[in-house]
Amino acid sequence: MAAPGGVEEMRSRVVLGEFGVRNVHTTDFPGNYAGYDDSWDKEKFEKNFRVDVIHMDESTLEFDMVGIDAAIANAFRRILLAEVPTMAVEKVFVYNNTSIVQDEILAHRLGLIPIRADPRLFEYKSEEDECDEINTLQFQLKIKCSKNPQAAKESSDPNELYINHKVYSKHMEWVPLGSQADNLNADFRPVHDDILIAQLRPGQEIDVLMHCVKGIGKDHAKFSPVATASYRLLPEITLLQPIEGEAAERLKKCFSPGVIEIQEIKGKKLARVANARLDTFSREIFRHDDLKTLVRLARVRDHYIFSVESTGVLPPDVLVSEAIKVLMGKCQRFLEELKSIQRK
Amino acid sequence: MDTEKDVPPPKQQPMIYICGECHKENEINAKETIRCRECGYRIMYKKRTKRLVVFDAR
Amino acid sequence: MGDEEDTGKPRVLQMVRAEGADKSCVTFVLHNEDHTLGNSLRYMIMKDPEVEFCGYSITHPSESKINFRIQTKGGLSALEVFQKGLEELTDVCQHVLSKFEASMEAYKAQKDVNME
Repeated sequence: MAAPGGVEEMRSRVVLGEFGVRNVHTTDFPGNYAGYDDSWDKEKFEKNFRVDVIHMDESTLEFDMVGIDAAIANAFRRILLAEVPTMAVEKVFVYNNTSIVQDEILAHRLGLIPIRADPRLFEYKSEEDECDEINTLQFQLKIKCSKNPQAAKESSDPNELYINHKVYSKHMEWVPLGSQADNLNADFRPVHDDILIAQLRPGQEIDVLMHCVKGIGKDHAKFSPVATASYRLLPEITLLQPIEGEAAERLKKCFSPGVIEIQEIKGKKLARVANARLDTFSREIFRHDDLKTLVRLARVRDHYIFSVESTGVLPPDVLVSEAIKVLMGKCQRFLEELKSIQRK
Repeated sequence: MDTEKDVPPPKQQPMIYICGECHKENEINAKETIRCRECGYRIMYKKRTKRLVVFDAR
Repeated sequence: MGDEEDTGKPRVLQMVRAEGADKSCVTFVLHNEDHTLGNSLRYMIMKDPEVEFCGYSITHPSESKINFRIQTKGGLSALEVFQKGLEELTDVCQHVLSKFEASMEAYKAQKDVNME
């Protein structure tokens, strides 16, 4: 498929040469290639497009998205990072803070703690809006450190000497606003219980109230729902000639483990591409003058291997669904605007 | 400057300090020795303002 | 068109046409948008054989708007092309969403079978 140097290769593969990358940009627009109909074909797209889920657990998701252009796949990635909303601490009301962490630093740290709350249950709060149960979540952090009377005299271990000397995210307590307590079987809390917020010494205390609001990563990174969201193109490694014997062994060592396998055929060692997906394109092959001309390294232009790692606020598959809906929402916003202009 | 007239001048009231050793609150008047009544420790801390301060978590 | 509205509502879309130009050459100003919508919409519109040129630019990094230009062949209305692009992009998203959710469901079902 996609023979080296051909038009098909130019259209569908990104080729990684020794001194540069070829065919980087999308070129399949109408009028660019004689003999190809590149105008938008909904049926053809819907027939060729597919999604394969490779792996999922509570926080990570890997899936393949095949048959779509970089412009749209990249839009999904960008939206995951910056435009899928979450809840995060926005205002911190400091009643008392005698710890060595300054108020503004403490407030900043609290802001970055991921809050397990479904943002779809809330609405955005604008500057002039009053705080209520539909736009705000309230948390309280009230903790005081004291000496541990039971501690051994000669002990020097702070964990034994003091009580409450480590302030963790688990000490944040949800304070329901309005009807938040009685509706839903809601339990709002930080995603992780063991995020260290501050350390105290006897006599020091922290007493703060926090207001969480809905926001997006574009406004502040604390609202970003993902730790990472990225994609890579599917690697494609083609052996242009049979590679045998000692050369096959060397070829195998040029790639990540599992990419090249060696078959014994009639006592002869023959290299074969077993799983190109595992490769990381280390470019080691270009250090071997005899091998580099026998191999073509490429990537499949429309095969995206997405990897989405959630902060734990929402499951990763929900995040991807939400991202797609956000892009639809953007289109709808302008379509509605066009309608209202035409009505005038 | 009407506002300044309305506010009564602050009365000289004893300040409350917190002992650095036993965390007891001590009332100490002007010119009194700075010393904890409980444990005799001489390092005292001022209390934090009672005013509520609001910060943006940014 | 576009510049006259000074009501409290935030601006979403403006259309700018050079003096003497016909309806086939229009620059749309999309407020509060960036590469996310700009590039994906440009792709969809470039796929239309009736479009002579489609491109966008971010006017300044600290202004959250993009200038989105469309020039069509044969006097076709740029506004219609713009609308068609948005509709097609919506359809693409709808299809991606349904395919993604179907695959997700299948994966979860398969996982449950393996657990038993």
